[in-house]
Amino acid sequence: MQPIISIRNIGKQFGAVRALDNVSFDVTPGELHAVMGENGAGKSTLMKILSGVIGDFEGKLLLRNQPVQFSSTRSAENAGISIIHQELNLVEQLSVAANIFLGRESRSWLGILNQKEMDDRAAALLAELETNISPRALVSTLRVGDQQLVEIAKALSLQSDILIMDEPTSALTESEVARLYRVIDKLRTRGVTILYISHKMDEVFQLADRITVLRDGQFVQTVNRTDTTPRAIAHLMVGRDIEPRQKHTAERDAAVVLETKNLSLAWPGHSRGWRLQNVNLKLHRGEILGIAGLMGAGRTELLECIFGASDLPPQGEILIEGKSSRFGHPAQAMQAGIAMVTEDRKRLGLFAHMTVRENITVCSLDDVSSAGVISHSRETAAAMSQITSMSVRTDGPEAMITTLSGGNQQKCIIGRCMLTNPKVLLLDDPTRGVDIGAKAELYLLMERLAADGMAIIVTSSELPELLTVSDRILVLSEGVLTGEFSRSEATEQRIMEAATKSQL
Amino acid sequence: MSSTAPGILRRLWSSIEFKLILAWLAVVVATTLLDPGHTYWHNPGDSAELIIRNTVLLGFFALGSAVIIISGGIDLSSGSVIAMSATVFGSLLIVLDPEGFRDGHLATSAVIMAIVGTLLSGVMVGTLHAWLITCVGLPPFIATLATLVGLRSFSRGLTQAVTNNRSQIDFPDLALRDTLKNVTNVSIVFIILALAVWFLMSRTVIGRHLHAMGGNEQAAKLSGIQTDRLKWLAYVLGAVVASMVGIVYFADNGSAKPDILARGYELNAIAAAVIGGCSLQGGVGTILGTVLGCLFLRTVIDSVNKIVGTGADVYEGMIVGIVVVMAVTFSQRGVTSLRRPFFGTLIGWAAIPVLSLLAGLSYMLFFRDKPWFDPWHAVVFGVIVAGILFVRGLVELKHK
Repeated sequence: MQPIISIRNIGKQFGAVRALDNVSFDVTPGELHAVMGENGAGKSTLMKILSGVIGDFEGKLLLRNQPVQFSSTRSAENAGISIIHQELNLVEQLSVAANIFLGRESRSWLGILNQKEMDDRAAALLAELETNISPRALVSTLRVGDQQLVEIAKALSLQSDILIMDEPTSALTESEVARLYRVIDKLRTRGVTILYISHKMDEVFQLADRITVLRDGQFVQTVNRTDTTPRAIAHLMVGRDIEPRQKHTAERDAAVVLETKNLSLAWPGHSRGWRLQNVNLKLHRGEILGIAGLMGAGRTELLECIFGASDLPPQGEILIEGKSSRFGHPAQAMQAGIAMVTEDRKRLGLFAHMTVRENITVCSLDDVSSAGVISHSRETAAAMSQITSMSVRTDGPEAMITTLSGGNQQKCIIGRCMLTNPKVLLLDDPTRGVDIGAKAELYLLMERLAADGMAIIVTSSELPELLTVSDRILVLSEGVLTGEFSRSEATEQRIMEAATKSQL
Repeated sequence: MSSTAPGILRRLWSSIEFKLILAWLAVVVATTLLDPGHTYWHNPGDSAELIIRNTVLLGFFALGSAVIIISGGIDLSSGSVIAMSATVFGSLLIVLDPEGFRDGHLATSAVIMAIVGTLLSGVMVGTLHAWLITCVGLPPFIATLATLVGLRSFSRGLTQAVTNNRSQIDFPDLALRDTLKNVTNVSIVFIILALAVWFLMSRTVIGRHLHAMGGNEQAAKLSGIQTDRLKWLAYVLGAVVASMVGIVYFADNGSAKPDILARGYELNAIAAAVIGGCSLQGGVGTILGTVLGCLFLRTVIDSVNKIVGTGADVYEGMIVGIVVVMAVTFSQRGVTSLRRPFFGTLIGWAAIPVLSLLAGLSYMLFFRDKPWFDPWHAVVFGVIVAGILFVRGLVELKHK
């Protein structure tokens, strides 16, 4: 079959970084072609070239055998290529219909907006996607999964026959993922070609016809899904085997470090009335406690309450080593020996304009200063100690944090926490946006910390991950604990059952 | 070592401070040559004194603005705080030593108490700002907009109350006035203050936390940084340095007229901080850069004064505007920023007549008193500018 897209020797240089080097492969019409690779492998750059975000590149791009070079996303859209970005590109203050037709509004006489027609067409598109989102709803009131459907509806309205999806499930609940799969099926029966970027192996193996692996900006291989295994793909992605981990077993009857009694968090103005309701948990020394739950189940809120970072003060009791504690500010929680790695690294964790050194030491400057004056040498030594023990790959402590890959940034933030000598480490989805090799390293790191006696609570949007790392898993559903499983009892099936138990 | 030496040079070369020094030298040389009287050459002492005085006066409250901007906020109120503190200082003198105020010889104790009281009023204004921002939850722009308007009006009322309904307070004590306005004294205080603020921002935990908060407030809070207290510190610092400079302005002008004193100066301070490399997004900026930004801005203003001659203070605002636009354009991406297309688009073409008209009119305004001036010069100048920009636009179109 004639390829619909031919990528021929494409290269792209960003300053000193060779983001793409001599990449060539074909996409056949109507297939779902997964593109995989670690962070920094060049997937995003390639997709930006295909979708017109980057107009300047080396090599050739053929669309239906015609050489093309898009100067803007608009020109790519006109050629039938739409992209759904990982970070959605919607104007939150506008309605669904206004977003779908943004820049291509239907007009009536005198250029006045034809609201009615746009609403009707938007409703038709959304109905095709099996959703009852109102075209008039403000995008800001929609859940992430629904917002994504709005993006897909927008692509449909453009009559795109090539759709690029960049990690589309990274923020979706299980049921939304299932719905997305149905939508993808529907798109494929209409003959839409889909380029699918993902880190998630199970997803790719469920959906893809063919898989292309990139590594360090270079093409590695394109394989048929039926001819390969997740293990083989992982090997292609990292260029080496990922070592199987040995799991330490937490001491039975170790001391309880953290306990919550009837911890509740109100949710004013919401029909449910609470974000968390009577959560009782115990965390032991040297234990890794996993918290499972769908998006919105209260995982992040639980960690925030323990860390003194919730918007409203929680009710109930938090005991640190048996002592009742109440934190109004994260500073107090840190004083008491709690550290937290936040979910949204870019928004809540990183200081993007600062160096690796400054990012690592920001919580513990008092330890490297006298009378409030920072000692540069002591600070650098502290930063170096974490760079070494976390094996952060960086040009040195003076490199800007943004030059590091996601996984290495995350290691710096964990190093930041470690410098505060915590007894309890809260990790909120620590491997989000981290590539597979670095994930394995983070698991080993958690292992090692727990073996040294650290008590860890970890949440994750990926169940297999929780099953791998946790000694024990608690399940939240709509703010209530609905299940507790030891390592040997826990299965994906049982956790999902508990996580979808409705409270109403 | 061989590998680090070029690294240091490259960092120096790419630093905004170094670029500002180069640009400043260029302005000084150009002014020395172009000024019809060649004042910089013939009378360097007085020229330097004038520029230093203006730089230091601006520098005081620009330091405060810089700290606030680096910490992620903005302070629009410093001009009004200057007016307020001059009024408060005068009022305190009247209240504390009414006889001394009348006969022109103030008691030292009254002066000291008045200074302390004035600085305290600065602390109070800063506290008010911090309260409005952290407790009431207003954006800094709105909180300081309110005090920008409110404090000037308050100062006018206060002035009327202490002066029997006059609209200004005259500076009472000539000897004290000479001490307070003396360039050497003011400069020494400024240098000490600038060094202290530089040390605070670059060497202490508080300074690092201010940078962190400016760069990512949420992350700073989750890192256990007491962001609310830091904001209090930043806004108090900003208001206190403004009230210090208010006392100096009072002495320097010989009177405090709260309706016009230091009106709009807050924008000069923000401009100086931005020229010096502070980002209004927060998190980025240096104290040395801010001081150099003040020096550069005041030197350019002085340069235009020298070249154009009398009455050029009218054009101060124009100069500040142009310098800010150019400084920020260049400091973002250096010389490469010149390569971006300025004119090849619809808005670009529309800007050409605007810029040419501005150029022609400015030429006329600047030089209309010169004996050699002829209105046709202005027209020709405008047309030449239009021609150059048009050619540039065509070149850009071709490269597209």
